Amino acid sequence: MSEEPLRPAWSQSFTADAIQELPAYGPFAKITPEWAWKNSTGKGIRVAVVDSGVEFDHPALGDCVRGGVVVEYDSKAKDNYRIKPDDQPMDVSGHGTACAGIIHSIAPEAEIYSVRVLGRNMGGRAIQFAAGLDWAIENNIQVVNLSLSTSLEEFFGLFHDLADQAYFKNMNLVSAVNNMPEPSYPSLYSSVISVAAHDGQDPFTYYYNPNPPVEFGAPGIDVKVAWNKKQYLTCTGNSFAAPHIAGITALIRAKHPELTPFQIKSVLLACAANTRRENK
Amino acid sequence: MANQMKPNQNINEEKLSEQLQRLLSSIEASKHAVFSESNDALLNSIVTAAGRLFGAGAAAILLLNEAEQVLEFKVAYGPSEHTRKLIGTSFPMDKGIAGYVMMTGQPIATSQVKQDTRFDQDFAKSVGYVPESILATPLLSGDRIIGVMEVLDKIDATSFGMQDMEMLGMFAQQAALAIDQSQQINNIQEALILGLKRLVNSDPSQDSTEILSVLDESLDETNRTLDLLELADLFNQISALGEDERKACLQVLNVFAEYRRSTTSSRRFR
Repeated sequence: MSEEPLRPAWSQSFTADAIQELPAYGPFAKITPEWAWKNSTGKGIRVAVVDSGVEFDHPALGDCVRGGVVVEYDSKAKDNYRIKPDDQPMDVSGHGTACAGIIHSIAPEAEIYSVRVLGRNMGGRAIQFAAGLDWAIENNIQVVNLSLSTSLEEFFGLFHDLADQAYFKNMNLVSAVNNMPEPSYPSLYSSVISVAAHDGQDPFTYYYNPNPPVEFGAPGIDVKVAWNKKQYLTCTGNSFAAPHIAGITALIRAKHPELTPFQIKSVLLACAANTRRENK
Repeated sequence: MANQMKPNQNINEEKLSEQLQRLLSSIEASKHAVFSESNDALLNSIVTAAGRLFGAGAAAILLLNEAEQVLEFKVAYGPSEHTRKLIGTSFPMDKGIAGYVMMTGQPIATSQVKQDTRFDQDFAKSVGYVPESILATPLLSGDRIIGVMEVLDKIDATSFGMQDMEMLGMFAQQAALAIDQSQQINNIQEALILGLKRLVNSDPSQDSTEILSVLDESLDETNRTLDLLELADLFNQISALGEDERKACLQVLNVFAEYRRSTTSSRRFR
């Protein structure tokens, strides 16, 4: 190996040494977390968790799960997938329940919809994923948590189109970046809120990275999360960082329904722990 | 080359097959397979390097057996009494931490394995190794998850971190490439043998363009696969010389196929 450490890992932008203090100017310096989300519960905001499913009756979720769909790969079907309603969703692994649990702990009155795209199918994973995102776009979802991505080049265009559609429909896509420092979609598109893990534990402390593509760092290391079969676990991964930002996004949207996706991102930047605000 | 290989018209085909059988057996005895069955040695070195670099107590690569819907331990690094037991064992593809990675395609690190029900305690106890911490990442071949790579028990720390996860992803990429290539070579071998048998049995006017195009499609530019192409071309040339040559060719291929069947069954993991 060379003397230079293997370069990084999107999460390396959020180590204690790497975090930079950022100046805030003009009215942006006046935006505070108190203004942005204080007393908000995320009430009325529809959040989709596109993942391995969500265990609807997990105690960590209260009764926030309002339904969802299962997307299955089917090479004989039109567009190679089928969508089935899933009124009482289950989780095939625990990954989606963990994400939903984090969102619910931050935005307890947000409505969560399970979009199950991960599971036993061995082919067509990216197709299922794209179809799940498409379902969210067509069903008035406001915030989508995407703790998954694809590195397949041939899906660049399809996901880019979906991300644009979501953006123009006033939706926020919050996406965990890949655990490898390589392109992955849709997590690295500019319209998406991309998130990597930092090692803090406070759910409301997150950082902005002035050197994109990954823009936000949220807790994702040794995080205690809900898991399937009514369990809890301690896990590490960028997957668990994204739902923190999805939850905060739901809080902001509930309190400030007039804000557009790009304004939401500006508010998130203004309230990042490394932004130098007035009276901070 | 075709001229050098021009067969004797009085060729004794039985004798040829006997000679070939003997030749292949002697090659096997000298531990130099004509076609490498897999890249196990490369996978072993990847797992060993990962285990050492991460400061892990153990490491392993598990591959999906699609027919049986299980994950099989392919190679492992760690205390030899445990790794010996592990190799070739399998468990359902949706069980344990490897099963979780298999189902989601997402890497994960967890530090409280003993309290973690994703982890198959019974299986771990049966092989005499119950880890404290695990880091696992998928092996991806394009869109498909073909297996899982994991490192166990970080020495000098209670858990694996993000940097470990990212680096393991790079090791997993190498392992997946090696597995991919090895499977591709196996596919080419099958296509070669089946295709040439079909050729010999078919209408004499039909050439082997189709087989060669199949080979071409799935070929990487490796020396080994180029050898295979050359071999295919050679058989094609021989069989084009006439009926006797084609018959001889068929006999050679049959002997070879039989030989392969008898040797692969003993070499594959069960």
